[in-house]
Amino acid sequence: MKGYSLKELREAAPFLLPLTIFIVAFILVPVLGTIVDSMYLDVTFLKTRFTGLGNYLWMINNPGFWQSLGFTLLFVLVSVPLEIILGLIFALLLNENTAVRGLLRACVLIPWAIPAAISARTWELIYNYNHGLANFFWTKLGNSTSPINWLGSELGAFTSLVIADAWKTTPFVAIIILAGLSAIPEELYRQAQVDGANLFQRFSKISLPLIRPALIVALIFRTVDALRIFDIVYVLTHGGPGGATTSLSLYGYNYFLIGDFGYGSAVSVVLFFIAFILSITYVKIGRFGEELR
Amino acid sequence: MKTVLTACCLVGAILTAGCMSQEKGITLSVGGTPSELDFWESLVEQFEAQTNIKVNLLRQPTGTNQRRQGLVIALEARKKNPDVFLMDVVWIAQFAASGWLAPLDEYVRKDHLNLDVFFPNILNLVDRYQKQLIALPVYVDGGLLYYREDLLGKQGIFNAPQTWEQLVEYSLKVQSKMRKIRPDFYGFVWQGAQYEGLICNFLEFAGSNGGGIFLKDGKILLNTRANAEALRFMRDLIYTYKISPPSTYTEMREEQVRQTFQQGNALFERNWPYAWPLHQAADSKVRGKTAIAPLPHFPGGQSVSTLGGWHVGISRFSDQKSLAWKMVDFLTSSATQKQLALKLGWNPARRDIYSDPEVLKNMPHLERLKEVFQNARPRPTVPYYTQLSDVLQRYLNAVLADKLGAETALASAQKEAQEIVNRYQAK
Repeated sequence: MKGYSLKELREAAPFLLPLTIFIVAFILVPVLGTIVDSMYLDVTFLKTRFTGLGNYLWMINNPGFWQSLGFTLLFVLVSVPLEIILGLIFALLLNENTAVRGLLRACVLIPWAIPAAISARTWELIYNYNHGLANFFWTKLGNSTSPINWLGSELGAFTSLVIADAWKTTPFVAIIILAGLSAIPEELYRQAQVDGANLFQRFSKISLPLIRPALIVALIFRTVDALRIFDIVYVLTHGGPGGATTSLSLYGYNYFLIGDFGYGSAVSVVLFFIAFILSITYVKIGRFGEELR
Repeated sequence: MKTVLTACCLVGAILTAGCMSQEKGITLSVGGTPSELDFWESLVEQFEAQTNIKVNLLRQPTGTNQRRQGLVIALEARKKNPDVFLMDVVWIAQFAASGWLAPLDEYVRKDHLNLDVFFPNILNLVDRYQKQLIALPVYVDGGLLYYREDLLGKQGIFNAPQTWEQLVEYSLKVQSKMRKIRPDFYGFVWQGAQYEGLICNFLEFAGSNGGGIFLKDGKILLNTRANAEALRFMRDLIYTYKISPPSTYTEMREEQVRQTFQQGNALFERNWPYAWPLHQAADSKVRGKTAIAPLPHFPGGQSVSTLGGWHVGISRFSDQKSLAWKMVDFLTSSATQKQLALKLGWNPARRDIYSDPEVLKNMPHLERLKEVFQNARPRPTVPYYTQLSDVLQRYLNAVLADKLGAETALASAQKEAQEIVNRYQAK
């Protein structure tokens, strides 16, 4: 509270109050409530009792949990960098002054505007074994006689999910980075050109450092989103084959569904802390907020 | 202070009065496709006209899981609404053990309702919890074998296969002929994707070999020779005999299976009775060429059909239980059951409808179904069934994906399932 007088604080309070109430009511209370609930054996058909870390112990011994944790982390590790790199390329292209720039920008946004469940359904049709577009190209153009069961192997299902996710969310990354790019004054580039900097130097010395805040924002959003991946898994693979693509959200959801609220909460808490730690790491590594001072 | 108190009382009185004026009604929660819900609207109108009880119809979505979620939330919160609702057969144990269902015995006694009209196996295994009647069946379901009479006839075969061995033999014969004109033709399609339908199929294969999920005194038994044989056979249908498509374990759910068969791309199909009217529809390629039979069995075993269907129960938190009972009585009455059969093609829960001439004239296949339902076997009726199913789905699906051997998978599944039993077994 250094630097603020009591009077200033009293004047500021009414303005801070609404936001504080909002944060407490809609973020703090539910999160704390979930943490408390995760310490109870809270199953609809059993007597509710306090178990401390019982749910977490059961989680550690549950192979299904480790399988879904492994899948979720691998999914983040593969899909997020892919989306960031593709998004960056898209943003650089869209930032160029071409005649159709407006049209291109609108087109790129379409996948992002489609609801996830619907785009997942579309991908389901693409990957369909008998009538899917993927197998149409594979058998007709690849001249192969046997269609591929795209979602049938662990690797195939994983790759298919990453592709479907990248298609949908790359535009989001591109738009955020594009905002960062548009904020860079044109003079900087012109001056660098006068000084004899080539294209690559201009990118690495001007664009990249200046869009770092935008990149960090995109990274945080994408990582947290990818961690709680649910809709496309739910539609495309239902967690199969053999549970190989069960994400943590789907895993927790299944427990909520049968009425084991305590364990479902414990899974959510684990997911929350993973997202929390990763976000803090990004902010620290990216020295977010120190730029442009 | 006094004025504030008076104001509070006034507001309170007005609010209670508002509630009281609505008291003469009940809320009924049902889900389904839009056309089904439209039919429910008309049923509700009939009920209102007959009984003068106002009904608020709570429309739920088509998906079973969403419907379950909606009810679990309302009941966990001890809400008075809905008063009456439909439940999938596999939820009943959880709902009953959670203390959400009102016992019905007293109403049955008072109204002299004859319970013998329902299938006794279903009523005793599913609708009773700790000797109390907590639900009544509205609609029953069971796995069936659909087959192409015309294609089998061309091979000089005039009966449905009795054993799985015969099914493979017939399939191979017909498949090699049909592949020449239809490259996507398969001998036998069934539900193998990672979802509840896989368990239903597995229990039929396993049950017809004397296997199944055995639960006794807190011990679960899955890893038996009968189960392993059945599971290996399911895998072999895809990889050894190649009469089931490679996408069986990724895509094949009820609808995908039905469409494959309906487009003329399969000889045999395992599905629920709902597929029958659709196969006979005007746009179906298998119209008039299809017949139904009980599912085949292994040598020395007998045909088993997994029990499905929807039941009606009353919420323990309802404050209109006797009005709600009128709705239960109405839905299980022979007049309503007959309408459900004729209008929606649902299979009545009452046995007497199966010999009703008007129903039989429109749905001759019901006669066959009666046999199937009489022997239909429920899935384990424990409140934590969904968790067991979840574990089993993963391991069975891994075997069908050729990732695990049958014995290894069943051994791991048993171990993990035992953990679940230990966690959820009431102590």
